[in-house]
Amino acid sequence: MDLEFIMNIFPTLLKTLPLTIYIVVVTAILGFLLAVIVTAIRLKKIPVISQLMDLYTSFMRSTPGLIHIFVVYYGLPVLFRAIGIDINFISRVTFSITALVLYNGAFVSEILRPSYLAVPSQQHEAATSVGMTNWQKHIRVIFPQVLPIALPSLGNALIDLLKDTSLLFLIGLVDIMGQADIIIANTLGVYQLEVYVTIALIYWGCSILLEQVIRFLEKKTGKYLR
Amino acid sequence: MINLKGIEKTFDGNKVLKGINLEIKSGEVVALIGPSGTGKTTLLRTINFLEKADKGSITIDELTIDNEQVSEKDMILMRRQTAMVFQNYNLFRNKTILENVMEGLIVVQKKSKEEAEKIARQEIERVGLLDKVEQYPIELSGGQQQRIGIARAMALHPKVMLLDEPTSSLDPERSLEVLKVLQKVAKTGMTMVIATHEMDFAKYVSNHVVFMENGHIVEEGSPEKIFTDPSQERTKQFVQELENPFT
Repeated sequence: MDLEFIMNIFPTLLKTLPLTIYIVVVTAILGFLLAVIVTAIRLKKIPVISQLMDLYTSFMRSTPGLIHIFVVYYGLPVLFRAIGIDINFISRVTFSITALVLYNGAFVSEILRPSYLAVPSQQHEAATSVGMTNWQKHIRVIFPQVLPIALPSLGNALIDLLKDTSLLFLIGLVDIMGQADIIIANTLGVYQLEVYVTIALIYWGCSILLEQVIRFLEKKTGKYLR
Repeated sequence: MINLKGIEKTFDGNKVLKGINLEIKSGEVVALIGPSGTGKTTLLRTINFLEKADKGSITIDELTIDNEQVSEKDMILMRRQTAMVFQNYNLFRNKTILENVMEGLIVVQKKSKEEAEKIARQEIERVGLLDKVEQYPIELSGGQQQRIGIARAMALHPKVMLLDEPTSSLDPERSLEVLKVLQKVAKTGMTMVIATHEMDFAKYVSNHVVFMENGHIVEEGSPEKIFTDPSQERTKQFVQELENPFT
C-alpha cells in the first residue's frame, strides 16, 4: 500500500463527492415522494392502479439496480424517439436520478406501507371520534407515528441508495467511482488496491454521517416512545 | 336530547343490533348493562358513527340523521356533537397530556391556542392530573390515562359523552379512581351513556339503566326499578346472579 499515493488522490476523489451527495439527496427526496404516492394508492386499494403499483414494486425490488440504470439510460431515449421526441439533450445525471428514484421509490414504499399499518387502529378511531376529518387525522396523529416506525428502515434504504450510486460510472458518470475508474486507468492498474480502499473509506464516512442524521431524526420523532 | 329509532347493525351476516329504540334526555346518565357480546359497545359506536348502522335514525337535539342515506360530512357533523371514552383509553401516543386534551379544540373546534390551553387545563384539573401535563401517555398508569381520556372528551363540551366500558382494563383500585371522576362529571349535568359491568356505578350514579341482551333492549328504567323490581324475567335473573354470584 502506497500511503503517499492515497494522500495524493484523496483530494481528487473528494472533488467528485458533491455530485454523489447531490444525486443522493435529490433521489432520496423524489424517491420518498414517489413512495408516498405509491403507498397511498396501494393502501387505498384503488382498483387497477393499485395492482399496477403492486407490479411495479414487485418488479423493481426483485431486479438488480444496475439493470434499471441501463434500461433507463439506453431504453428511455429509444422509447421517446419512437413517439418522435428527442431526449438526447438530457444529462447523464438526470438519467441517473430517474433510474435511482424508480428503484429507491419501490423500496421505500415497501417500508412505508407496513409502517403505516403498524399504527394501531385505535389511534385512527381516537382521532375520528373527536371529529377530525380524514386529512386532519393523518397529518396530526397518524403520520407523526408512522415516522419513528419507518425511520430505521429508511436509514438503511438511504445507505443502500448511496452505495447504488457507485453503479452510475457504468453509464459514464464521473462520480467518486467514476473518478476512481479514471485514476486506475491512468496509472495502468498499478494502484488499484489503493484507489478502492480510499473510496471505500469515503463511502464509509458518508454512511456514518447519514446514520447520524437518521439517529437524530429517530430521537426527535420518537421522543414519546420512551 | 338523543333519540335512537330502529337501529340495526350486522357484521358479516351476524346481526348485532336488532332494532334499538332509545330516548335519552338531556343531563341523563344512562348505564348500558348486560352480558358481553350483546351489542352495548356497538350501540355506542353507532351513536358516534365510528360504526355506521345499517338502518334506523339518530337524533341529537335538532339534528336527525337517517343511517341509510348519511354522507361522510353528516357523520363528521354528528361526531362533533359527541365524544367517546374508550376501553383502552386510546390517547394520542405522539402527544403530551396537555396536547391530547387541546387537540380537538384546536383542530376541530378551531379555538385559539390560548383558549384551548385554558379549557384543557381546567379539564385536566378536574381529573386531578395537572402535574402530568407535560408527560406522554406512555408514562402514565392506566387509570391516569383513562382520566385524561375523560378530560379529552369533556373539553370538547359534547352534547353527549359515550363511554365504552371505561374501567374494564383496570384493577379495582384504579377502576375506583376513574369511577369517582365519572361521578364528578355526572354531577356537572353532562349527558352520558356508559356501557359498563360496574353494577355499583349503574346503581348509584346513573339515573337511567338499560338492560340489553342479544341486540335487543330487554328492559329500561330507573336504577331502583331495574335492580329491585324488574318486570322482565331475564332482567331479574341477570341482576340476581350479579348480587349473589355463588348461591
